[in-house]
Amino acid sequence: MELVEKNLTLQEKLHILADAAKYDVACTSSGVDRRGRKGSLGNSCADGICHSFAADGRCVSLLKILQSNECVYDCKYCLNRASNDRVRTTFTPEEICQLVIEFYRRNYIEGLFLSSGVVKHPTYTMELMYRSIYLLRNQYHFNGYIHVKAIPNAPQELIEKIGYLTDRMSINLELPTAEGLHDLAPHKTQSSILKPMSFVQNGIAEHRLSVGKEALMDRSSANRYLSGTIFDTARQDRIGESSAYHSSIAAIQSADSFCAPAKSRPDPFVPAGQSTQMIIGATGENDYQLLTTTQKLYQQFDLKRVFFSAYVPLNEDALLPALDTAPPLLREHRLYQADWLLRFYGFQAHDLLSADRPNFNIFLDPKCDWALRHLELFPIEINTADYQTLLKVPGIGNKSAYRIINARKGGSLDFDALKKIGVVLKRARYFITCRGRMQYHLRIDEDFITRQLTGEEHHSAWDIEHPQTYRQLSLFDTQLSLIK
Amino acid sequence: MTTIFTCEDTLESILTCIYDAWGSGLGQQNLRLLVEPVVELELFCEYRHVDADSDKVNKVISSIQKKISTYAYQMIYRCAMSPSPQKADIIYRFLLYGFHYGRSITDMIQIPAVTAIFEVNRAVGNEAHYFREFVRFLSMKGNVLVSHIEPKSNVLTFIAPHFQDRMPSENWMIIDDNRKSAVIHPSDQDYYLTALTDDEFIRLHDLEDTSDPFIGLWKEFFDTIAITARKNTRCQRNLIPIWYRKHTPEFQ
Repeated sequence: MELVEKNLTLQEKLHILADAAKYDVACTSSGVDRRGRKGSLGNSCADGICHSFAADGRCVSLLKILQSNECVYDCKYCLNRASNDRVRTTFTPEEICQLVIEFYRRNYIEGLFLSSGVVKHPTYTMELMYRSIYLLRNQYHFNGYIHVKAIPNAPQELIEKIGYLTDRMSINLELPTAEGLHDLAPHKTQSSILKPMSFVQNGIAEHRLSVGKEALMDRSSANRYLSGTIFDTARQDRIGESSAYHSSIAAIQSADSFCAPAKSRPDPFVPAGQSTQMIIGATGENDYQLLTTTQKLYQQFDLKRVFFSAYVPLNEDALLPALDTAPPLLREHRLYQADWLLRFYGFQAHDLLSADRPNFNIFLDPKCDWALRHLELFPIEINTADYQTLLKVPGIGNKSAYRIINARKGGSLDFDALKKIGVVLKRARYFITCRGRMQYHLRIDEDFITRQLTGEEHHSAWDIEHPQTYRQLSLFDTQLSLIK
Repeated sequence: MTTIFTCEDTLESILTCIYDAWGSGLGQQNLRLLVEPVVELELFCEYRHVDADSDKVNKVISSIQKKISTYAYQMIYRCAMSPSPQKADIIYRFLLYGFHYGRSITDMIQIPAVTAIFEVNRAVGNEAHYFREFVRFLSMKGNVLVSHIEPKSNVLTFIAPHFQDRMPSENWMIIDDNRKSAVIHPSDQDYYLTALTDDEFIRLHDLEDTSDPFIGLWKEFFDTIAITARKNTRCQRNLIPIWYRKHTPEFQ
């Protein structure tokens, strides 16, 4: 059994508990605007602020630590599982508060991301985390961003109390299927994860209704120009079941378990929404399953973000990939690209993938891949197309589509202007016309465009998979001949 | 023959210079604006130096806000904070179109004069945002937080309100080493902008104290949080370019 070390310095503890926390993905500080207050320290900025970037290129926005790396669970993929022989330690609430306050004053961090191994019992652990957060908010007067990871099987009262003190909560889904979870995380069940998730969701909806907002989280404001986004569908479902929904809200209110303390303005409950994360590549799910699960999570649980974590092998186990498996970074990248298409571009999971084509193309990003399968929709005339149509063009994003719409009110646009606006012409040029003309005389032919685009994309895809290596020049590019 | 109007590198001088250039009646194709110091003198040009005049400045500002928009004025202000010697000319050419088209001019990126100011404006805005992220304070004796930055653009006025809101009850100052100016914020009061004399500047540098134990803790955290299996230096350099790292303790 592992030792619980008593005489560690703060620096050693920080090393152990940051090292144990680093595989958690979400380090965003976005989603809520909060002004500072005299006498308190901190504010919050809805755009999110990154304070540094670690050697792996991931942003350091929050002080990401565990309360404790002691754990009674034995999840196979986890560094802190009970059967691993590691030095175990626990932060006291005062140590966490001191670190957060002093780091924040020096502008090192934007707030705290607190997770934990399960010490003794989920209730005991959550209680400990609550004490840290309570002290930080009320005694140290910290007004910055706090993200807390809820422990599965923790009691609802504690989750509720923590919800009023934090900006974001998350419960890790870990694996998209119940079977995967059963194999790799025997102490967790899907219901023990989804139950607190819907509890937090209802808490958020209840608070939002009480301050006169609509129940569902705010999404990108540009989404109002789109039709058929995943959030519209969710909203229609809500309206369909509205009577049932309102009665459930009424039940919650009458049960009195959930009412905010009597004040002129109720305390916000998890104002930046909740998120979750899934491990990519530890079990056999395909991209289609992952993306459909993601979409369902957005629609049914109204999550603000779903994060993907490329599996980094840490433990040896017959059920897990071998220890020398490289983390599937490109796959993770493709999933994030698709996640953006769902949230900001009006795509749905079944537009991008299907049961017949369950995985993303390694050589093309999901939007190019989609466009190539729908060449009948192209080319699009830049000077007349609407916002939603512009967004479907590879190489045009939200900002450039918005600028195009505004700029063309004052006169028609040509390719030079598009370049200045920020359109990526090397991808867009196959799909657009300006004043009725394409940039060059190009064939709209699937094979031809695929060859052109993969040539461009191949380099960046290789860079993502092999971040630290250099490539031997070769006359005969074997990767390209694989496609066609 | 081209006439070149030159002025000092301040918002007031630039706006006065634009006022005079406009009123000179020379025609916009016969004149240019340049911010001093003028490094290379050109042949066949007449140089005219313009000094700041607060009446003219107020006239220019109010007509920009009335006839174009407040947003256009913000763009011009940001542009005036950039290190580009062409900025006075860029603003002048933008205003030529601005007073013609009015409010809608800020969206017309297809006009080259607007593209130019759009790009400078974006560069300054991005740099200001980076410094909100990468400013690092040193905790000194007497509970004072001190930060040094070496920005290309003059970003102090953009980042000060952010820190005023964030740390209203702390004593802090941010010093721009390149321009020898500083924002000073006494606890629970408003911040103010001030120029530093050479003496003050050197004294502040001497007072610096790097024995703060939290620097070590921060470095420990920063080094630990990276996942070795995902190491990607190029991505890191894209996101925090090396020239921003001069005063960040985790990279020292």
